[in-house]
Amino acid sequence: MRIITHTCPACGTVVAANQLEDSRVMKCPGLGCQEVVRFEDLPEDAREHFLENRDRYQI
Amino acid sequence: MKGVVLSGGTGSRLRPITHTGPKQLVPVANKPVLEYAIEDLKEAGITEIGVILGNKGRDEIQELFGDGSEYGVDITYIVQGNPLGLAHAAGCAKDFVGDDDFVMYLGDNILKSGVTELVKSFETGNYGAGIALQEVDDPQAFGIADVDNEGNVTELIEKPDEPPTNLALIGMYVFSPAVFDAIDELEPSWRGELEITDAIQDLLEDGYEIDSHIVTGWWKDTGKPQDILEANRLVLEDTELNTAGVVEDGAQTDGCIELADSSVIEDGAVVRGPVSIAENTTIKSGAYVGPYTSIGANSTLEDIHIENSVVIGDSEITTNGRIVDSLLGRNANVGSADELLPEGRRLVVGENSQLKL
Repeated sequence: MRIITHTCPACGTVVAANQLEDSRVMKCPGLGCQEVVRFEDLPEDAREHFLENRDRYQI
Repeated sequence: MKGVVLSGGTGSRLRPITHTGPKQLVPVANKPVLEYAIEDLKEAGITEIGVILGNKGRDEIQELFGDGSEYGVDITYIVQGNPLGLAHAAGCAKDFVGDDDFVMYLGDNILKSGVTELVKSFETGNYGAGIALQEVDDPQAFGIADVDNEGNVTELIEKPDEPPTNLALIGMYVFSPAVFDAIDELEPSWRGELEITDAIQDLLEDGYEIDSHIVTGWWKDTGKPQDILEANRLVLEDTELNTAGVVEDGAQTDGCIELADSSVIEDGAVVRGPVSIAENTTIKSGAYVGPYTSIGANSTLEDIHIENSVVIGDSEITTNGRIVDSLLGRNANVGSADELLPEGRRLVVGENSQLKL
């Protein structure tokens, strides 16, 4: 299963795509980081793959 | 070599303690379980560590460990979110790990011997992975590895009816970056998770050699209250304990006692080690603190007889009863009902609490 992540450009915290897709737009979960991270920050092919296989990224 | 420490999970088996925090921060001998993992990795020479965070306790873990500099390591946080399995957690660390090998350490586990020997064993060959194994009495209850005469793993079997060995996987692994290709090929298991044992099996089938390292000292998964007490006992037995605080004249002490320099054992108190007493804690007259007990910071004990227990901290325990084999959460207070009418115990007990009165 392809595992997709995004790295916050401000603090380096890595966020899994399932977490990004849950929130779509979220404050970076890195403590004290003010950066906003978005599902749209992922490359287009990664977003498409995730959305086509969304069920597999859920419990 | 890098380290990846798994710190997700709901901690459901440790409720109510984990209603307010992650299970990896429950203290054993007054130190959060996760700290043992960070220290073990550092001892093995691993200072670049990725900490995988779930949905619970993210801020608390980051607040405690920060960027890792206080522990002499460099920590990157990796938010897995949903617990989609150990292989998913490892896969989330792919960018962090890059082309390095890495140790994967379950953050709610403690093992006596650390991971240094596991890493050394892995580095003696060109392995796809290395796994820590321990001999168990009931192999039917574990994931079991079959190994050849040279210690290479030949097969992994989950809870076999007829186990070929009694060597159980204990949740400590070393991986080469080849594991990421194996994870890419995985499908979720029947329980909807990406299983790390499936990834290792795929490495085997792809022709990689898998090293095994048999752990001889104790190992403890601290997932349940009884496990915390057991781990506390094992760590207190094995740790050099330093009495820095004040032991007043008239206090009786015996055995190894760790006493923080801001803590006091007062005249008339009895403490029998091994015991750990954290900062700003007072053991008052009439209290007895018996072996295998850890008392957390900012606590006061008076009149109580307590042993083989863990008091996490910020507690006032002033009843004259006996507490044994118990785990008391932060800010839990136990007073006396002797003067109260009608007679009887007064309880304010959280969800999922367990009491034996």
